[in-house]
Amino acid sequence: MKKKLLLASAILINGLCAVAQEVDYEEYDLDNGLHVILHKDNTAPIVTTSVMYHVGGKDRTEGRTGFAHLFEHLLFEGTKNIEKGKWFEIVASNGGTNNANTTQDRTYYYEVFPSNNLKLGLWMESERMLHPIIEQGGVDTQKEVVKEEKRLRYDNSPYGQFLPELGKNLFDKHPYKDPNIGYMEDLDAATIGDVIAYNKKYYVPNNAVLVVAGDIDLVETKKMINDYFSPIPKGEAIVRTYPKETPITEQKNAKAYDPNIQIPATMIAYRTPGFKEKDAYVLDMISTYLSDGPSSKLYKKMVDDQKQALQVGAFNISQEDYGMYVVFGLPVGETSLETLTTEMEEEVEKVRTTLISEKDYQKLQNKFENQFVNSNSSVEGIADSLAEYYMLYGDTSLINKEIDIYRSITREDIKEVANTYLKPNQRVVLEYLPEENTAN
Amino acid sequence: MKKTFILLATFFTVLAAQAQIDRTVMPKPGPAPEINLSEPESFQLNNGLKVLVVENHKLPRVSIQLTIDNPPILEGDKAGVSSLTGSLLGNGSKNIPKDEFNEEIDFLGARLSFSAQGAYAQSLSKYFPRMMELMADAAINPNFSQEEFEKEKNILITGLKSQEKDVAAIAARVQRTLAYGKDHPFGEFTTEETVNKVTLTDVDKFYRDYFVPANAYLIVVGDVSLDAVKELTEKYFTPWTKAVPPSFSYTSPKNVANTQINFVDMPNAVQSEITVQNVVELKMKDADYIPVLVANQILGGGGEGRLFLNLREDKGYTYGSFSSINDNKYAASRFRATAQVRNAVTDSSVVEILKEINRINTEPVSEKELKNTKAKYAGRFIMALEDPQTIARYALNIETEDLPKDFYKTYLEKLDKVTIADVQNAAQKYFNADNARVVVVGKGSEVLTNLEKIDYKDANLPVLFYTKTAERTEAPTNEAAVPEGITAESVIEKYMEAIGGKAKLESVDSYSLTAAAEMQGMKLDLEMKKTSNNQFMQDVKMMGNSVSKQVLDGDKGYVVAQGQRKDLTDEEIVKIKEESAPFPELNYLSVGGISLEGMEMVGDKNAYKLKVTDNKTVFYDAETGLKLQEINVAEMQGQQVQSTFTFEDYKEVSGILFPFKLIQTVGPQNVEFIVSEIKVNDGVSPADFE
Repeated sequence: MKKKLLLASAILINGLCAVAQEVDYEEYDLDNGLHVILHKDNTAPIVTTSVMYHVGGKDRTEGRTGFAHLFEHLLFEGTKNIEKGKWFEIVASNGGTNNANTTQDRTYYYEVFPSNNLKLGLWMESERMLHPIIEQGGVDTQKEVVKEEKRLRYDNSPYGQFLPELGKNLFDKHPYKDPNIGYMEDLDAATIGDVIAYNKKYYVPNNAVLVVAGDIDLVETKKMINDYFSPIPKGEAIVRTYPKETPITEQKNAKAYDPNIQIPATMIAYRTPGFKEKDAYVLDMISTYLSDGPSSKLYKKMVDDQKQALQVGAFNISQEDYGMYVVFGLPVGETSLETLTTEMEEEVEKVRTTLISEKDYQKLQNKFENQFVNSNSSVEGIADSLAEYYMLYGDTSLINKEIDIYRSITREDIKEVANTYLKPNQRVVLEYLPEENTAN
Repeated sequence: MKKTFILLATFFTVLAAQAQIDRTVMPKPGPAPEINLSEPESFQLNNGLKVLVVENHKLPRVSIQLTIDNPPILEGDKAGVSSLTGSLLGNGSKNIPKDEFNEEIDFLGARLSFSAQGAYAQSLSKYFPRMMELMADAAINPNFSQEEFEKEKNILITGLKSQEKDVAAIAARVQRTLAYGKDHPFGEFTTEETVNKVTLTDVDKFYRDYFVPANAYLIVVGDVSLDAVKELTEKYFTPWTKAVPPSFSYTSPKNVANTQINFVDMPNAVQSEITVQNVVELKMKDADYIPVLVANQILGGGGEGRLFLNLREDKGYTYGSFSSINDNKYAASRFRATAQVRNAVTDSSVVEILKEINRINTEPVSEKELKNTKAKYAGRFIMALEDPQTIARYALNIETEDLPKDFYKTYLEKLDKVTIADVQNAAQKYFNADNARVVVVGKGSEVLTNLEKIDYKDANLPVLFYTKTAERTEAPTNEAAVPEGITAESVIEKYMEAIGGKAKLESVDSYSLTAAAEMQGMKLDLEMKKTSNNQFMQDVKMMGNSVSKQVLDGDKGYVVAQGQRKDLTDEEIVKIKEESAPFPELNYLSVGGISLEGMEMVGDKNAYKLKVTDNKTVFYDAETGLKLQEINVAEMQGQQVQSTFTFEDYKEVSGILFPFKLIQTVGPQNVEFIVSEIKVNDGVSPADFE
């Protein structure tokens, strides 16, 4: 009884905390369809201006992969009013930093400036949206840079191929089967015409969200946004009809080779629902349960007690249309990959067949609460989350309410979701092996 | 009334149109924002532990950091003892067993980790008192056990093994060792051998010697009050016994007399790791500390640095090229300029990096570069203030680096005063291209020939070879010497003999081949026909549809790609003719111009390497004589594209051996064709080449 009371008061405190750190924001649309989100926080004199476009690796046609990522590079090349090669200089010489990143689902561009340069940030992002310069020279250079990036991140990097390998094995038809960075021969084959058409289709205000967060005045900011972004013409509506995958009903075995490694790895992967689904949140909880922290199930058993694994982990790669759920292990000493696979499945099986303990359940809730408190600790991070929640999850208010979804998950949900998605006949078992040297 | 409304609306629209901004002009910054640089509270315990507290109540969380600022430690033949001590700390305490300890921290949703000379914890502020207690207990009363020791040792050794093929990890190790020497704390490294010399007693001694409060700082940042921190620190950290760590000396590293390349061969590398480095003496309190940061920023500090603009934006050699300079109050540190580049441009990249280092030494930087860099630093300084950890870090630096109290308060002023001459002086003092080690880790067989040709200031740069553990070694040999008496002719003759004999091959007028492969889950079908009359047909079908077809009939031919038919150019006809003969080797001897280039390994087989044309190289098995591989280089959209065919699984058809497995490799793509049928002097008709 006493325990129950304690639990109740813990939840009460949780509730209070959530109120204390509510992220305030305001959102509206411009006539050209650009969605705008403003978040005011005057504690430090800095401001983030960012644009997220709903275009990622998966938005491509067969034979033309990797375009969104190529554009992440291309759209720093210059605009009608920003001379080629000057983008980074303008940002840095005004005391700012900037970058961009691309996933299979979206591309995100942002600048962080001291707050007296808000207008500059807006000007730059509006230039990028209105009239970027896309010409052969820049495309050629950036193709080479992308190839170097691929060599660095994938080809020369230990375990660098694992994500592309998982995609290839978990998907047959959906574009997630191809690497986000694309195939190099596709980039080579891309003509300037292809590239310009892609820009015209996806990099339009009605496919974007602008976030301004930090030390701002709301009225002034709205006026500036109107000045810089309203003149940008609306693009055609975008329709996405990507093929649906047929469920995996029979275990699939695959092998991949990596010349940069000495220690093999085994990976068990499952195809899971897109991140909007509540089940995806449940899967996040399951991966925390299995491998986050030294008392988590897989770590405790395989690394600590049985000393079979150098490393073991479970993670849920969330994506818009489908997720990839991966459990992996690296053997220590003479342990075979089969042993690791069996031991990992044993823990996954327990999640399918028995309810996790009350105590473990409370531990999960505490971990997610801590994560929630830390998630909104920087203005830059808040800007990114606001854009993502609006664009990909379709609900900006999740920035304050996502924790409620985790709170609503029950022990029974955890068992049921494990049973729906993590059965042995639904899995791909990937043996990731060292490739022997051919020369010398 | 309604009319007025419309009028008004029109009026506003006009007004709005007139007020439209001029987007050809870059917006000017507003007035500089005010900066608020607060100072943390601090106090000290009797055992020497200094405590810094930054209160920040924005979020209900707190971080606790324990840092022990000891001089660098030489681990010698027991290298790894420090790392093992770090791994063994934080596994519970003498009072709380490991499992209970871990379980409790996880249950609180918190984190606590230890290193050999520090610890870090993060939690919600409601758990702060308990986290202080757990951290202090684990730090002061560690429970080192033989079982944990063996486990961590095993993990450390496995981890070391895992790095043996990691180009970046090897490069980092060799760079450090070459710069500082093996007998320096920054130059020594851990190996399986040194780890095996470490015992649990060594770990215990390391802990007692160095995990002491004399140079220790506890930094608490977040939703806490000074009083609470005082009370908890005194309660939990007072038992930490006062002690001072032992100190020892080591020789200071020197730069080389003349710039040289230090090369490490890693046959698995697809990129070269290049670092141009010197050792430097730089402390934060030095007068030229800020000028040298500015100089480094201009040379290679980021996306607008000269190295990045030259090697990436202008030439596309690399994903990024940067430089860095480190400071250290106890010992020497390094200046480094780095890039990871593809094999083919390794030599050009070295040249460009040296050129940029030289340029910043000899030419003053521009007004604009200096102005922009100052603005960048100022912005970075302002932006860092968002994070309350910054306040703590600044205060810690003032303490540990012996800086004036107002170092950060006057930082922007000092930055503003830096002149062009200051920057050049700093560059000359710290960035040195004439006494530099150019450490290159990469694939010798593809990069060495050109690396050995680099001239710098009118002299050839010497190339010295090192092993993966930074020992001097001989130049790598990819090519074994060719035995006496072997010539291009004898290799070709042996091949023809091996697959059935010259007479047999000459009796073949035509053959046809059917094969299939799988690419990204799709089935590819290949059909190929050849005759001895310059006729050739190759059709590739994907899921039953022809995607590429080439046909040659004497002096004419065409290709069909993605439904588009195109006649072959004269040049293409010549190329395809070379391939069209059933056994091109029959013509090699009469055509001439073929040279034996040496011996190389193909897979696990020794092979003779024959250069057939500038664009075609063929490998024949030294033992069996069979053809193992063909490498063709073609020009495609201004790019050299290399495609490799590997031949395996030879089987006999009509008395001739044919490979039944053809592996084509283009870039990262591997397509494995399995032959289902080969017909000799059968199944080919003139209609096939129409």
